Parts: sequence; C-alpha cells; structure tokens
Amino acid sequence: MEPFIQVEQLNYAYDEDGGQRRRVLRDLSFSVERGEYVAILGHNGSGKSTLAKLLNLILTPDSGKIIIAGREITDPNLTEDELYEVRRRMGMVFQNPDNQLVATIVEEDVAFGPENLGVPSEEIRRRVDEALALVGMTKYAHHEPHRLSGGQKQRVAIAGIIAMLPDCIIFDESTAMLDPMGRRDVLRIMDNLNRERGITVLTITHYMNEAARADRVLVLNDGELYMQGTPAEIFSHPDRLAAIGLDVPQCTDLVHQLRDAGIAVEGDCLTPAQCADAICAACAASGITFAPPRT
Amino acid sequence: MNTLQLEHISYLYSAGTPYEMRALDDVSLTIRGGTVTGLIGHTGSGKSTLVQLLNGLNRPTAGRVLIDGEDIWEKPKEIARLRYRVGLVMQYPEYQLFEETVRADIAYGPKNMGLSTEEIEARVLEAAEFAGISRDMLDQSPFDLSGGQKRRAAIAGIMAMRPEVLVLDEPAAGLDPQGREEILGGIRAYREKSGSTVIIVSHSMEDMARYCDELIVMANAKLLMQGSCEEIFSHPEELAAVGLDVPQITRVAELLRQRGLPLPESIYTVEQAAAALRQLMGGVGR
Repeated sequence: MEPFIQVEQLNYAYDEDGGQRRRVLRDLSFSVERGEYVAILGHNGSGKSTLAKLLNLILTPDSGKIIIAGREITDPNLTEDELYEVRRRMGMVFQNPDNQLVATIVEEDVAFGPENLGVPSEEIRRRVDEALALVGMTKYAHHEPHRLSGGQKQRVAIAGIIAMLPDCIIFDESTAMLDPMGRRDVLRIMDNLNRERGITVLTITHYMNEAARADRVLVLNDGELYMQGTPAEIFSHPDRLAAIGLDVPQCTDLVHQLRDAGIAVEGDCLTPAQCADAICAACAASGITFAPPRT
Repeated sequence: MNTLQLEHISYLYSAGTPYEMRALDDVSLTIRGGTVTGLIGHTGSGKSTLVQLLNGLNRPTAGRVLIDGEDIWEKPKEIARLRYRVGLVMQYPEYQLFEETVRADIAYGPKNMGLSTEEIEARVLEAAEFAGISRDMLDQSPFDLSGGQKRRAAIAGIMAMRPEVLVLDEPAAGLDPQGREEILGGIRAYREKSGSTVIIVSHSMEDMARYCDELIVMANAKLLMQGSCEEIFSHPEELAAVGLDVPQITRVAELLRQRGLPLPESIYTVEQAAAALRQLMGGVGR
C-alpha cells in the first residue's frame, strides 16, 4: 500500500534582504503511513515549521513533490477545490492559541471551519458537539474564548480542526506555551485522536519526552533529514542529538549516565515506568535486594 | 541586598466593574537578595501580574512592594527610575526589538539612563557576553538574527541596564534544548557576576529544577508554597492538584522508592538521581 504522505526531494528557500535566498529545506524525502504518530525534532531554524506549512500548502515548494493519499498536491494543475480539500484533510494547530481563535463564542469558533466548507447546519451542530466532547470542552460551549486558559484555548482550536474531519493533524509546537496541566491535556487528546480515531498525527516539538510518545521520530538538521526511527532508536544516540542542539528525555539520560558509570541497565527507558522497571531489573540481576515496599 | 518583599498584596483588574477579577489575593512573601528564584503556577494563577508589580508596571490595589525595605510607590513620580533597578524581560521579548543594529538595541536602555558613551559601550559588550551575542552580531540588524539570537539580544538589552533585580517571564519558551541552556546558563552567569536577584517565570519544571535556588508556587491568585527545589518538589500531589508537576526524574525516583529502593526524597535533577543510584548499585555489571 502506498504511504499516506510522501515527500520527495523537497526544496524550499526564503527570500532575504538584498536578493539573497536562504535555503531552509534541502532535498528532503520521507513518508508517513496512514494512522501513524510521528514527531518531528530539530533545533530552531532547522526547517520544521516550514515543512509543516508546505504540507498543507500555506507555502509551495521551489522543487520536489508532496503526494497525499495518492494525489500530488504540488501539481501545478491542482484546482482550487483540490487545494481547499488539502487544507481540510491536513489540519494544523499552531503554537499560540490566541492566533487561531476567530469567534467570540467557543462553539461558533469550532463551527467556523465547517461553515466555510458549506456543511449543512444540522451536520455542523452534530460535528461541533462531538468535537467539543472529544476535547472535553462541552461545558464551555457558550463561553468567550479569550477568558479561557491557554490549555483550554488550545483544546478549542483542536476542536475547530476536528470539526472539519481531517485525515491528519499537524501540531506545530502546540504545547510550548501551556502550563503542565494544559500540556498534559493536549497530549492526551493527541494520543486519543491518533489511537481511537485513526487520525495521522505529526507533532513538531522541542520537548523530548513528548517525542517519546510517537511511533516514529524524524530529526531535521539544517533542512535535511538527519535521523529517523522509533523513539527508542533515536534516543539511544544522545551524542548525535547533542551535536545538533537536542537532548534526550530525563529518564533516558539517567540510564545513559548509569551505563557510562559501568552499571548495566537494559532496555529503552523512555518513560518513568520503563526506567524504574529497568533499574529494578538491574538490581535484581546483580543480587541487590531491598526491603519490600512500604504500604 | 536586593531583597524584595511583598506585603499583603492584592491586585484587581477592572476594579468596580462587572468584570472585576482578583488576580492576586493577599500575597506576602520575601525573595532573598542574590538568589535565582523560580515562579511557577497554572495559567491565570497571577504570575505575570506579580512580576509586573515588581517593576511598578502595575500598582497594587492593596499592600506594599519593598526593595531593601523601601516602598517602591513611596514617590510615585519616580517610579520610572525603578525600572532601571528592576529589569523586566517580558514574554517573547524579541518582538520588541526595533533598532537598526543589535548594538543600538542593547544600548537603548543605558542611553535612556543618561550614561556616558564609554560606559554605554562597556555595558553593551558586557551584556552581549552574558547573553551569548558574539561581536560580529552586534553590527547586524536584529531582524537578520535567528529566533533564539533575537531572544538573547532582547535579554541583553535589559542586562545592559545592570538591574539589581532581573525578572524574566518565560525566557526560554519555544526554544530548542541548546537554546534553552544558553539563555538560562547566561542568566545564571549574570547573577554570579552581578550579585543581582533573579526571578524566572517558567512552565518547565525541569528547567526550574536545574537553574533555580528557590521556588515560589502560585495558585488561584494566592501564594501556595515557597521553598527550595527540594522542599517544593517533595509535594507532588499538591503540585498536581493545582495543574503543576514535578520534573520527570523526580517521578522516576518516587517509583523506585515505592519499590523499596532507599533513595533520598530530594532528587530533582538527573545528576542527583545518577549519583544516588551509583552509590546503591555501584558494583553492578563491572
């Protein structure tokens, strides 16, 4: 079966003052399967956000192809209807929730997308209710968005995308401005959309423990694909990541530090639970025992 | 020196209207001079309102703000001078860059202070160094810098005024790990060199644990807790109840303690966890 997103030899450069061109993406190729959960890592300026904007044609590439569900969206003969269809299928949630809410009432904001698509009003009602329920914001349907917390605003923005029934949602640092609870809520929604609803998720992030939740990680460096693999594969190379300004989740860092000290801890250790399991197993393996847990 | 005190501070937005909102409710606390203090709290907990009180951008509805025992609103007409003593770096300060060169932008504050040309130049160079702005960047347009560099230039602009109290609202938000480290490391260096008091607002518990001496926890317009990282991060339930968290590594240590490993309760950095485990597991695998 062909991949859902196929990117081939993509190039993009921005115009700079004095007629200079700054190359942001260089011969970038990769693919994403339908229903995959992919994290995109890279230092500031590595081309992540440019890539996101190319995937739903906010920008058009200088050369190269993007094929989504078998249709080349970079085809110069793409019709306007097809363009809007790309935007519907490839939803996007940005970093700052204040930049993506347009209406004065939460439910009207969620209805904005489907209204523009010409969806019949009973159907809009159904979609808005469902989308708000999905992000846990039903009881705020009649509230004013600007009075919500950052995390709540971001959930409303996500509901607005869900109401357009996308195949894929691109989260461009959507948790960067949120407090820990807001971040937890948004991450849980991302997981649900992917696992329960089969929506393909691409998430751009600077938080390594968020990338650890993905099926696969793409690492960009200066517009090129630097590494790709499962989170366990990627985070087993802390030195290669450090060389381009990235790091690994704290759990993984701990296990690497212990291994460097000659302590054999097995396993991937991407989450606190995995990490604790691995350390306990290492203790048991070498005959170190501790008093039974207090209850 | 450089000690900040809040005495029974309350702050109301839109006081006397139907939209009246109590952003701070009877907050009293002391920030010891020369510390790096982290301010954490959920969205809307009052953090930003609080930092805007420290340099007189907001005037408290009730209560007093004292620097070294002196009420900052004693002489309201002189409040502008306070802003040289208490430097505030707001969120996303890179959007406030405006001069033709990075050098001129960093010099803007010292120039307004009426300093001599030589003094201004010396301060620009010093601040640029703290913020990690190289010499060749100084003559570039700030708009040609990368996002992280712009952020650092904006922070240098405040450091160049050599404030006794440096307050930064989410200085590392949106930056990659290396960019975060450069900024937060530079802020620590500024404190070491100047002896200033530094206050950092952040949503990253991991960053707070690494760079702060003390933490202040705000929740629902009130002061919830104040103490060392060790004290604050040993209250995971209370933090979770107000939408906050502990560093990931603290959760690992907690899980290990539940399984009987005799680890101290004061683990909040990876280095501490590794050291404690090396002691316990020292011989394993050698």
